[in-house]
Amino acid sequence: MEAEAEPVLRAVGVHKRFGGVHALRGAHITIRAGEVHGLTGENGSGKSTLLKVLNGQLAPDAGTVEGLGRVAGFKGARDALQSGVATVSQETTLAPDLSIAENILLGHRMPRRAGVIDWRATAARAAETMATLGLELHPRSPVRKLRPDQAQMVEIARALSMNARVLILDEPTSSLTDDAVSLLFDSVRRLCDQGVATVFVSHRLDEIFSICDRVTVLRDGTTVGKAPISGFDRDSLVSLMVGASLEQAAHESAPHRVEERTVLRTRNLSLPGAFRGVDLEVRAGEIVGLAGLVGAGRTELLESLFGLHRPYGAVEIDGEPRWYRSPQAAMRDGVALVPADRKLQGLVLGMSVGENLLMASQSRLFRLRVPRPRHERVAVAAATQKLGIRAASQSASVDTLSGGNQQKVLLGKWLETRPRLLMLDEPTRGVDVGAKAEIYRIMREAREQGVGIVVSSSETPELLAICDTIVVMFRGRVVAALPREQADEALITRLGGGHG
Amino acid sequence: MNRALGWLATSRYAAVLLLLVGIVAYFAISEGSRFLSSANIENLLGSVSILWIVAIGMTFVVLTGGIDLSVGAVVALSGLVLAKVFNGLGAPAPLAVVVTVAFGALLGAAVNGLLIGRARLSFFVVTLGTASLYQGIVSIWSNTQTEYIDSSLIGGIGFGSALGVSTPIWIMLGVFLVAFAVLRWTYFGRDVYAVGGNIEAARLSGINTTATLVAVYGVVGACAALAGVVQAGRLGASSPDVGAEIPLSAAAAVLLGGTSFLGGIGGVTGTAVGVLFIGTLQNGLAIKGVSSFWQQVVTGVILIVAVGIDRIQQSPRGLVLRRRIRGEEMTDGG
Repeated sequence: MEAEAEPVLRAVGVHKRFGGVHALRGAHITIRAGEVHGLTGENGSGKSTLLKVLNGQLAPDAGTVEGLGRVAGFKGARDALQSGVATVSQETTLAPDLSIAENILLGHRMPRRAGVIDWRATAARAAETMATLGLELHPRSPVRKLRPDQAQMVEIARALSMNARVLILDEPTSSLTDDAVSLLFDSVRRLCDQGVATVFVSHRLDEIFSICDRVTVLRDGTTVGKAPISGFDRDSLVSLMVGASLEQAAHESAPHRVEERTVLRTRNLSLPGAFRGVDLEVRAGEIVGLAGLVGAGRTELLESLFGLHRPYGAVEIDGEPRWYRSPQAAMRDGVALVPADRKLQGLVLGMSVGENLLMASQSRLFRLRVPRPRHERVAVAAATQKLGIRAASQSASVDTLSGGNQQKVLLGKWLETRPRLLMLDEPTRGVDVGAKAEIYRIMREAREQGVGIVVSSSETPELLAICDTIVVMFRGRVVAALPREQADEALITRLGGGHG
Repeated sequence: MNRALGWLATSRYAAVLLLLVGIVAYFAISEGSRFLSSANIENLLGSVSILWIVAIGMTFVVLTGGIDLSVGAVVALSGLVLAKVFNGLGAPAPLAVVVTVAFGALLGAAVNGLLIGRARLSFFVVTLGTASLYQGIVSIWSNTQTEYIDSSLIGGIGFGSALGVSTPIWIMLGVFLVAFAVLRWTYFGRDVYAVGGNIEAARLSGINTTATLVAVYGVVGACAALAGVVQAGRLGASSPDVGAEIPLSAAAAVLLGGTSFLGGIGGVTGTAVGVLFIGTLQNGLAIKGVSSFWQQVVTGVILIVAVGIDRIQQSPRGLVLRRRIRGEEMTDGG
């Protein structure tokens, strides 16, 4: 995009404090009509805060927001919305029991006839909006029935339907399939041609490079870089984000040995509606990756091995046939599952770092026993240090931690159980580059100690970086098991999309 | 000073405690020794003993994110069980008391506990149903008649005293201390908070959430049965008419005491303050000759105000304020 396009929204010298934390200190961003503007930075760099300043949810302590006919910022989220700033946030904001059409046109935007809602026209308009995203869903079916990626697309459809002049997409792709991502990008480009500006936040550098015209990089609440995307390459962008080169951390693949001992073996494992005939083998000291689209059955497979479903077929742990009916039973044999959704399934957010870290390893103790605080403090201190968890104190509640640190607490909780089979579902979802590298390091250390590891991930580069073997699933079936040397991104994407 | 301020800003029952101190001071000044006499204080505590014991048990349930509406019926039913075991079966009084409390625990665990913890039915529907069910059984079994219990031991539970302090007050103290210790110093206590905070995360951490919920409804059942025994002791009889107002009063006391109705946050200390607040209001207004209905009006208003204060405390601005006072750094700026 040409540099002389007019700015539609500009924030200058923005400061924002939360208590003792200086979330933004002199951040600035200029968004021009018809461009896709990438906003990147590590977790905690102030991206979310800056977005909330742009869309009127937060008033800055200092600095100005101007544009869209306003010279002194917005008077609140509603004012910003009416001025033409629409936001798709990370958290879903759909009403699950209302229909897709109602959700898309919520907020007095449903067509009326004779004063009452015209349901036929509502459905038609919703269908029209969805068509631009390539969404083929029935407008009257309830949102509850949608898969997470479909719900995300409905959310985007709602933002598109608002005829916004600035569209803010805060990590819109984290639960989307590759196909859905490319459809989304198509509609974003169409909006650009109509002069709509898009602010795009993502942790996936590939996406930044493929869609953005310009990038603004935040670090510690300050804008440390802004330039056309052509002025960056992967490494320069990452080092700008973290303030140093991460090259060495990302790809240190120290030689290690995979033991002969098989930790997990499944034979013809099936769960109706999720996966069929899965043969999987994980050896001690091996990291096996599960690749495939969302909905390929990866999550259900891990959950089944953890005793959460009742699959058919045979499971052997350490050579012994096993059949788990509950997580407790699986944990007795040293099987651990780090679930994908840390807020809903992983952590008790209101409880402390220490209590969360010890929750799983202590779950087998007699319940009327008295915890020993001194032992606990020592154990928790050792774990937080080993995992590099940054928290105010052991007794700080987990919801005060950043996403990356929460994820490390979740991982640490399962390492405390000393598992022999460690299963991780999307272990780095919504986590910044620095925390990602630390999570990989922790996984490699566990591998050195002879733990068998299964990682399910939607991010192929991540699997290529850490796995010894990559198993690709498509629609519930294993379509390939590739040794690392034979795997590359294109092959995995092709296999995962069902093109064998 | 700073510590005290910090406590006031962060404690979930500080507001009610301040109110309690306020009304105690008010009644003490306006009524003098009529309110402050040891006889009246003993009377006050005795009058809230039933509510206290039930509310302590109720705290466990509310901490898991539930509520037990059947506690009133269990108080009445256990009084009747006590009478039947003592009079009908001729069991010795101590045994009858133990059997009754065990009956309450078992009833709570086996019916409410299993239906809510194992069958995963809604606590509201289940306990509404069992409240009606138990009340019906009480009426049928007792023929709506009062049954006298002629036992010096059971009477002593209601009106006796030891070391100059009446028995119900000792029982209240005992129940409170045991509950406090269990919640604070056992893994079961942590499970209660974990289940209330995020039951799915607790289950996936290997905590037996079914057992936790069954136990919690067993605890409240045992407490309600113990309250039924104290009630029977105070009346010298089992009456089918007791307990109707207990479930809502107990829930009000728990919530006044700062335990979140969503679960996961709170504790029995706050509940004790909540009960004392309700009891003091009732007692003081009675001394002033004001209708006790006003106590209900005031409790209702205060309850809503207390929830409003909690709302403000939990809002982003409140969080910032609390952190600043505690001197905590927020680690998430993004």
